[in-house]
Amino acid sequence: MPIRIAAKRISGTFLLGLFLLAACAGFMGLKLETDKILRKKIPGSSIIYVPSGKFLKYATFGYSGLAADLIYLWAIQYYSTYEIADRFTYLDHIFAIIAELDPRYTDPYEVGSMIAGQEARDIPLALRILDRGFAKNPDMWLFPFEAGHIAQRQLKDFDLARKYYEKAMVLPGAPDFTKRLYANAAFKVTDFKTSWETWLEVYNTATDDRVKKIASNHLYQVKAEMDIDALKEAIGKFRDRFGRFPADLSRLERLGIMPSLPKDLDGKDYIYDPATGDVKPPAVWWKR
Amino acid sequence: MGNALKIEDLHKSFSTGFIPKKKEILKGISLAVEEGEIFGYLGPNGAGKTTTIKCVLSLIFPDRGTVEIFGRPYLSPKAKEKVGFLPENPYFYDYLSAREFLSFYADLFLLNKAEKEARIASLLKLVGLEKAAGLQLRKFSRGMLQRVGLAQALVNDPSLVMLDEPLGGLDPLGRKEIRDIIVRFKKEGKTVFLSSHILQDIEMICDRVAIIIGGRIINQGSLHDLISEKVLFTEVTVSGLAPAELAGLGESLSVHGGKILLKVYDEDKVGRVLELVRDKKAKIESLIPRTETLEDIFVDMVRRT
Amino acid sequence: MKVGTIALNTFKEAKRDRVLYLLFFFAAVCIVFSRVLAILTVGDRVKIIKDVGLASVSLFGVLMAILMGTGLVYKEIDKKTIFTLLSKPIHRAQFILGKYLGLALTLFIMTVLMAVIFLAVLFFHTFKVEWPMLTAILFIFLELMLITAVAILFSTFSTPILSSIFSLSFYLIGHLSWGLETLIKKMKPGTGRTLARALYTFLPDLENFNFKTEVVHGLPIPPKIFVYSTLYGVFYAAFVLGLAVWVFRKRDFI
Repeated sequence: MPIRIAAKRISGTFLLGLFLLAACAGFMGLKLETDKILRKKIPGSSIIYVPSGKFLKYATFGYSGLAADLIYLWAIQYYSTYEIADRFTYLDHIFAIIAELDPRYTDPYEVGSMIAGQEARDIPLALRILDRGFAKNPDMWLFPFEAGHIAQRQLKDFDLARKYYEKAMVLPGAPDFTKRLYANAAFKVTDFKTSWETWLEVYNTATDDRVKKIASNHLYQVKAEMDIDALKEAIGKFRDRFGRFPADLSRLERLGIMPSLPKDLDGKDYIYDPATGDVKPPAVWWKR
Repeated sequence: MGNALKIEDLHKSFSTGFIPKKKEILKGISLAVEEGEIFGYLGPNGAGKTTTIKCVLSLIFPDRGTVEIFGRPYLSPKAKEKVGFLPENPYFYDYLSAREFLSFYADLFLLNKAEKEARIASLLKLVGLEKAAGLQLRKFSRGMLQRVGLAQALVNDPSLVMLDEPLGGLDPLGRKEIRDIIVRFKKEGKTVFLSSHILQDIEMICDRVAIIIGGRIINQGSLHDLISEKVLFTEVTVSGLAPAELAGLGESLSVHGGKILLKVYDEDKVGRVLELVRDKKAKIESLIPRTETLEDIFVDMVRRT
Repeated sequence: MKVGTIALNTFKEAKRDRVLYLLFFFAAVCIVFSRVLAILTVGDRVKIIKDVGLASVSLFGVLMAILMGTGLVYKEIDKKTIFTLLSKPIHRAQFILGKYLGLALTLFIMTVLMAVIFLAVLFFHTFKVEWPMLTAILFIFLELMLITAVAILFSTFSTPILSSIFSLSFYLIGHLSWGLETLIKKMKPGTGRTLARALYTFLPDLENFNFKTEVVHGLPIPPKIFVYSTLYGVFYAAFVLGLAVWVFRKRDFI
């Protein structure tokens, strides 16, 4: 008798074990099936109802950093879901919230501006996001640095770029070539003097030959442009007086229009075409 | 007459505490309850009475040993259908009325509607709660709860009724009522197994007892066998005699308003007291021979282990 | 049916719970909060009411499931009402199943009431009955069923507070399944990834029951997912309840 009871209990346990295995296999299999089915997701889009503002940080009861992380993680998912056509509507809002919750979290500023710039094609927004980042993190050279790039590359606004680079290059940690970029941008805005000075500094403080060479090339270019501008101005004056282009550049010096003929950084003469009045540097600046 | 309940070599240990330490509660319990008798299960607190009962009811699973109910293995559903159980200090669904409460358990035994109503009515009558049938259990007194608990134990008209400390916490009137109900069970042919540590009650209603101390059955048998008829001493109350005259005959327990209560150990000393009373023309107020009680045996056994 | 008896008894006990107050609290929150937000937003006001309403049904439903479920079995054991019950000829599995069904019935009624209030609030804004909402609510109910099973499982061996924490963790893990999925995509193939994948498949994915977004935005739902999600819920709940029976069977009730 006792054996039968024990046997019944064991068989009961065995059956229960089988049942558990079957149920487990069942739901795991079904999980694999449901994963295959693609569903239209606009996950967590109710974030839009979260009003931004100072109080938001306190509303998260001390977990604002975590909240920022989670919202940022969600945002990455959200913005990689290309099926959502109007996903950029709240781009500023969302990244403003993240900034509010954790102002020192740098990734979102960069990513936000990248999304704004490259995907939403809203450059002012991209810059705004970076400005925000810089306002909250005035010690981060990265923000104005990137802003400068955006201004330069996408807006072709060299003046703006120059302003950004100016901010960036004095911050600790900024790479050396920030100065180069500043100089370059300054150059494009025809502020030759600043450009020259900056490249000179880069040249003098350069720790390796490559940087020195690049600086020297830039210096050459700046000088060339300056010189060519001066020459062209002089040629213009000549033309006004005599109604034609001078036969060669030495005329300008002899007639006193120019005190002396400038030479390029290597000490060579500029190439002049009397037929068109065009002046060119003897060397290609980036091939020197 | 077969055995209503037969337990053989029941062992149970528990591992308790953060670092599990094994504690053996039942160290090989064996007992047999005959059909139709009232069986008392005594022991001090912590001896293992409740554990034994719970093992029988499959609330606890023993490590070793067998239990048979009316010859059937105790876990079989047929065996369980013949058993009724009233736990110690029971707590019931207090938002139910007495009738709803019994109805719930009746449903668990799959009684049909007619059977159920009849059964509930007769049970309420048996335990004297007809008037409180519609009252919520939360409003019941302790005694009433115990009685409705008894009713619940009988819902399936069991042949074996297991009661764990059924008389605990009741006033003398309550105890009498429950005792009477239990005796009525016996009249109906039911077997009753009750555990208690109130010895007077056991003495009054049980046919046979088992004494459990420290997880072991120390003694088992009919009350009659366990308690010898030997007179331990006689309590004699006399009046009209001076204490000095009774010196040497017995222990003077109290002297009060002319009456002297004497504890006389020897049989012939009792005779001498009686002679004295006759000679001095005094008066015997009372004469009570005290035989060995269950309490005496019990205390003696506890002391010995 | 013995299971039915226990289920009905459980239902009677559960409905006496202060759950009713929770229900009215829900209704008030639903109405007030959604109206407040509706005022603040620009554009589609109804969307907010739908979002808040569904979120409330879900949230309050989960709270009810956990609070009631974790106390259910524990209370019986603690108050010792279980002694008289289990000494009767019923299997312990019947007990667990009865408790589960009783609670399921209670939650079903609660969900229906909440749905009615929700649809009524919506009606006042759109002047039509938004039947599609019911799809989301139906699956919220399925999710609640699974969470109830989990709550009962923990209730068989743990105190209500711990059980609540565990059940809540189950809920959170269930909704963060996508996080693990994203992590796995970034892992290099190998034993680590295989193990992670197995874990990912085993851990609950409660997003399978989340149709709130589709319903609110009016997006199409592939019909296959209804079948699969429902079956997923059924199998997982069966598994959890099986575990509960497993734990319960061996248990000594001291």
